[in-house]
Amino acid sequence: MIRLYRVSKTYKDVQALQDINFHVSKGEFCYITGPSGAGKTTMLKLLYGAERPSSGKLLINGTDVAKLPKRDLPRLRRNMGIVFQDFKLIETRSVAENVGLALEVLGTPRDRIRRQVEAVLNIVGLRGRGSDRPDRLSGGEQQRVAVARAIVNDPSVLLADEPTGNLDGAMAIEVMEILQAINLRGTTVLVATHDTGLMQRFPYRVLRFRAGRIESGGPA
Amino acid sequence: MSVAPHIFRRALRSLWENLYLNSVSTAVIASALVLMGMYLTVQHNINIAVTSWSRDVHVSAYFQPEVPEADREALRDSIARDPNVVRVKYVTEEDARVWLRSRVDGLDDVLEDLGPGVLPASLEITLRESGDLNSQMTGLAPWLRPEEFAEVDYGREWLERFEALLSVVKGIGATMGLLVLVAALFLVANTVHLAIYNRRDELEIQKLVGATTGYIVAPFIVEGFAHGLLGSLIAIVCLWGIHTGLAGRLEAALQLGLIPEFGFLPLSWVLALMLCGMVLGIGAASVAVTRFIATAP
Repeated sequence: MIRLYRVSKTYKDVQALQDINFHVSKGEFCYITGPSGAGKTTMLKLLYGAERPSSGKLLINGTDVAKLPKRDLPRLRRNMGIVFQDFKLIETRSVAENVGLALEVLGTPRDRIRRQVEAVLNIVGLRGRGSDRPDRLSGGEQQRVAVARAIVNDPSVLLADEPTGNLDGAMAIEVMEILQAINLRGTTVLVATHDTGLMQRFPYRVLRFRAGRIESGGPA
Repeated sequence: MSVAPHIFRRALRSLWENLYLNSVSTAVIASALVLMGMYLTVQHNINIAVTSWSRDVHVSAYFQPEVPEADREALRDSIARDPNVVRVKYVTEEDARVWLRSRVDGLDDVLEDLGPGVLPASLEITLRESGDLNSQMTGLAPWLRPEEFAEVDYGREWLERFEALLSVVKGIGATMGLLVLVAALFLVANTVHLAIYNRRDELEIQKLVGATTGYIVAPFIVEGFAHGLLGSLIAIVCLWGIHTGLAGRLEAALQLGLIPEFGFLPLSWVLALMLCGMVLGIGAASVAVTRFIATAP
């Protein structure tokens, strides 16, 4: 599913990632953890193509993302859901429009978008909130909208960068339960977090990063 | 599955939601086109006038007052036999008065006060349209002597000078028009860039959920087209208003026959102006979006 061979990333003279090797199987749930500056976010950025590796091979479903032309990035991202710590919701759009965005870019007809959005809002526990604006929702609800948008087109991989970083304990658990449920449906889930409490409560494989290297958990 | 309905819906929504910036873009395009259109209207009417004057190739020869009536008629007949002459008309002083009265209202009292001899009798000589003015005039020279004629007005001589001057003015006008369009392009591009900047988070999210560059760019192009279309329609309405206002003021000149007509832009020029507006709108949006795409993650 996801394979990295000797992946490194350098920003000018700063070595963000060095010689990273790991493999995540289809349907696996995996944490990427480590202290601030360990390279967790850079790792996720390489996976969704916002950054390119300086060297090495990064395969997702057999496609080498490192060599993927920029024009083919949309194809990669359409098969991938991404959740951010700051939710990245469009404030001027309703919940339903935010979630439906991932289907709009595929050219899905409106009535089908409406049906799929309703279904996915049910999954994340936001039934009937489709017409609300994001600023009327709590942090936990906003993150659930972001998760709904990430899974609405049924991606094979879900990447989450500190998805519970802005949430209190109860809301964080709610979001993790949703991610767990999504994983149980067969989606490969990679969560970058430094919340050890959550990792203990939802125990899965942990890739521990430190100073741009994998300290433990790889390559599997 | 087609993204087109979503693109058009996004564009329409953005046009409504960013009313201020869209109004600025439209107003800039409209202003540029009004400037262009005013220049083109002037040029169009000058072209009409020049064509009309070119067709009217005639020489006015004004008699000395002491030339006897019989000599005047003899001169008329001699000139009429010249192969380059199409027609010769003897215009008496009274004919000239009648003509002037018919063209300008309220001149009766002035002409009465001035008395006889103000408007000299003349020969209105119409020359063949094709032909070199110099050789035509050389042929007439033996008849148009200063002993009989106080003044000879060669209509086409100044016209040829005027046409030469006009070609320089046209060149300057075209350059100025191009500069106005380029300035408008960058002004609109910066306005669209501002609109994109306001929506950069939304566009970044679109990219992250798998939107292609085309999907992100297309609504802005549609908006640019709308700015151009609306701007050009506003410009044409403004130009029509300006034309109607000016036509009233130019009535006296039209009556005198100084200019043959003061027409509005022909349909083909109006359509070209609209096309120009749409190209301007789309071009400005493309410039702005290309700048954004180049810097987006």
